[in-house]
Amino acid sequence: MASRDVVLLSIDSGRDGLPSNALRLAAMGRRLADQRGGQLRWLVLGDLPTQLATLAGSYGVTAVDHADDDSLGGWAGDAQVNAAASYLGDRQGALLIAAQTFDSRCIVPRIAARLGCGVVMNVVDLDSDDDGLSLTAAAYGGDTRSGYRFEGDATAVVALGDNVVDAGPAGSQGEAPLETVSLDCGEPERVSVVERAVTEGPRLEDAEVIVAGGRGLQDAANLGLVEELATALGGVVGASRPIVDDGWIDRSQQVGLTGSITRPRLYIAAGISGASQHMVGCTSAKTLVAINIDPDAAVFRQCRYGLVGDCLELLPAITRAIKES
Amino acid sequence: MRVVVCAREVLDPDAVSNYVLEGKLEIGEDGRSVVNASIPRLMNAYDEQALEAALRLKDNDESVTVDVVSLGSDSADILKHAAAMGADGIFHLAADPAGLDCSAIGRLLGAWVGSSGGAQLVLCGRQASDDDQGVVPAVLAEALSLPLVTIARDVAVAGDGWRVIRATPDGDETVQVDCSAVVTISNELGDPRYPTMSNKMKARRRTAETVEPSSLGLSADELAPRVVMTSTSVPELHGQCEFIEGGSVDEQAAALVARLRQDEAIAGGSA
Ligand SMILES: Cc1cc2nc3c(=O)[nH]c(=O)nc-3n(C[C@H](O)[C@H](O)[C@H](O)COP(=O)(O)OP(=O)(O)OC[C@H]3O[C@@H](n4cnc5c(N)ncnc54)[C@H](O)[C@@H]3O)c2cc1C
Ligand SMILES: Nc1ncnc2c1ncn2[C@@H]1O[C@H](COP(=O)(O)O)[C@@H](O)[C@H]1O
Repeated sequence: MASRDVVLLSIDSGRDGLPSNALRLAAMGRRLADQRGGQLRWLVLGDLPTQLATLAGSYGVTAVDHADDDSLGGWAGDAQVNAAASYLGDRQGALLIAAQTFDSRCIVPRIAARLGCGVVMNVVDLDSDDDGLSLTAAAYGGDTRSGYRFEGDATAVVALGDNVVDAGPAGSQGEAPLETVSLDCGEPERVSVVERAVTEGPRLEDAEVIVAGGRGLQDAANLGLVEELATALGGVVGASRPIVDDGWIDRSQQVGLTGSITRPRLYIAAGISGASQHMVGCTSAKTLVAINIDPDAAVFRQCRYGLVGDCLELLPAITRAIKES
Repeated sequence: MRVVVCAREVLDPDAVSNYVLEGKLEIGEDGRSVVNASIPRLMNAYDEQALEAALRLKDNDESVTVDVVSLGSDSADILKHAAAMGADGIFHLAADPAGLDCSAIGRLLGAWVGSSGGAQLVLCGRQASDDDQGVVPAVLAEALSLPLVTIARDVAVAGDGWRVIRATPDGDETVQVDCSAVVTISNELGDPRYPTMSNKMKARRRTAETVEPSSLGLSADELAPRVVMTSTSVPELHGQCEFIEGGSVDEQAAALVARLRQDEAIAGGSA
C-alpha cells in the first residue's frame, strides 16, 4: 500500500536554531498528516538545527530523521538530491513538503525529477483527500493563483512559498524523537564552489526594519535619503529591482520574488509602484508604509499607512520627525 | 561547441499585471487560461537573457553554435526573434503544452537535446514569468544526467566545463563544473541585445525546423502529467490603507511617526 506519510524537508540550518520557514512547514505538515492519516516525519539533510526537535515535538512530528553524511554540508546539490531521493524511494506515495528557499529551489525539483513524480513550487495552500491532493500556488509573481491537482496516490513533491501560509498553533509538547538515517549520497559533487558569497552587513531576511527605495527616487544620489531614514530607525536599506538592475545598489538588497522575501516589523516603501513581484517580498511585514506621488499606485492597496507625495521631501521629513521625537 | 537555449512564449507579465490591477483579467471557459486578446505574447524575459548569455559565448568563440528550441503550440514568433538576435538553429518542438506538466516538458526537451547530438551547455531562464515554477530546467538536467546550476549572472568557458557566477541573495557565488551542464540565467546577466533591422528582415524568412514529439521515443507514461493545472484566479487583497493627509510635509511626517509609535512599529511606543 502506498505511504500516506508527510515528510518535511529542511536543507538549511537556518537562524535561531531553526531552518527557514520551520513554523509554517510544521503547521502545514501537521494539517496534511491529519488529513492523510499518515505519519509526520522531518527529514534533515546536513547540520541538525538545535531547536528543531523541540519545535517538531510541539507539532506532533513522529520523528526527526537526520542524515548527517559529511557530503551534505554546504552547497551540495548532488548529495542532497541523492539522499532525499533514496529516502523517498522507500516511501512510495509520501508527500514531501519543503520550504522554498534560494537553495531548495534548485534541489526540490531535481528530487521530483529523480523520482519521476510531480512537483509544484510557490505553494500557498494544499489539502489532501481520498483521491489525491489539491493545491494553490502563486503565479505571475503573485498577481494570480493557480490551482493544481495530483490524482491518485503517487509520491508528490511541493515547495511552500515562505510568505503566505500562516503558521497554525503548536500542539503537544516535548521533543520529537531523533533518528539517524544513513542515506546514499552518491558520487562526488559535480559542481564545486570556487568563491562563496559574502554578505556585508545585516541580511534583509533578518531585518526588523527596512526602508526600501524604488525608481521614484529618480536618481542614485537620492538613495542617501533612504539610507538616512534607515539609519535613524536602526534598519536596513531595501530596493526594487529596477534600481538594482541600474546599478544604484547591490543586488543583495533587492526585495521581492527574485530577491529577498522579508518579514520585518516595519517596512517603508518609497517611490515603489507596488508590482506584485516586489510586494511578495514585503507584504509579510507587520506594518507596511508606502510613500508614492501617485494616489492610485498599486502599493497603496496593500499597505497600512499611505503618504501621497514626493518621497524626496517626505523621506527627510520622516527622518527629522524620528530624530526629534 | 554546441549551446542549446530553451525558450518559451509567455504573456507579457506587465500587461497581465495591469489587467489584474484593473480587475479586468479574463479567464477562459477552461477556468485556467488567460484570454485577454490584447495581451502581447513575448519570449520569456529570462529566456531572452539565456540567449544573450549564449550569444556572448559565441561572440568570444566562433566555433560556438547556438540552437534555440521552443516547445509550444505557436512558437513561430519567438523563434524568429531568436534568429534575429543571432541564433544559428531554431527548432520547434510541436507539442501542445496544455496537456503536459513541467516534468513532461523537461523530459521532452531533454530527449530532443540528447537525440540531436547533445550539448556542452544547455541554457534556460531561471523561471517562466507566468508559472514562476523553475522546474523544467531541473527535469531537463536530470533527464540528461547533467549537473544543474541555477540563477546565473555569468557563464564562461573554463577547462572542459564552465565557470558560473550565481546571483545569490548574499551576493555573487562562483562555481565550477568540469563537464557539460544545464545553467539557468537570471536578469542580473544584463539586457539582451536588440536585433538589427537587417537581421530582423533576414529572420522573417527563416522557418523553424519542426520536431515531432513522437520522434523522441518517450513512453506514454513518461509524458503523462503527474500534476494538472485546474484553475487560475486573482487573489483578493485585504488592504486597509489609512492615508495620512493634510498639513505640511513635516506635519504628515510627524503624524506618521506618532502612528508608528502607537502601533509599536518603532521603538518608544505609547507606554
Ligand atoms: C519575473 C519577474 C520577477 C521580478 N522580480 C522582482 C523583484 O524581485 N523585486 C522587484 O522589486 N521587482 C521585480 N520585478 C519587477 C517588477 O515587476 C516591477 O517592474 C518593479 O518592482 C518596479 O519597480 P519600481 O516600483 O521601483 O519602479 P516603477 O514601477 O517605475 O515605479 C516607480 C514609482 O515611483 C513613483 N514615484 C515617481 N516619482 C516619485 C516621487 N518623487 N515620490 C514618490 N513616488 C514617486 C511612481 O508613481 C511609481 O509608482 C520582477 C518582474 C518580473 C517579470
Ligand atoms: N515549453 C518550453 N519550451 C522551451 N523551454 C521551456 C519551456 N518551458 C520551460 N522552458 C525553459 O525552462 C525555464 C523554466 O520554466 P518553468 O519551469 O516553466 O518556470 C524557462 O525559462 C525556459 O528556459
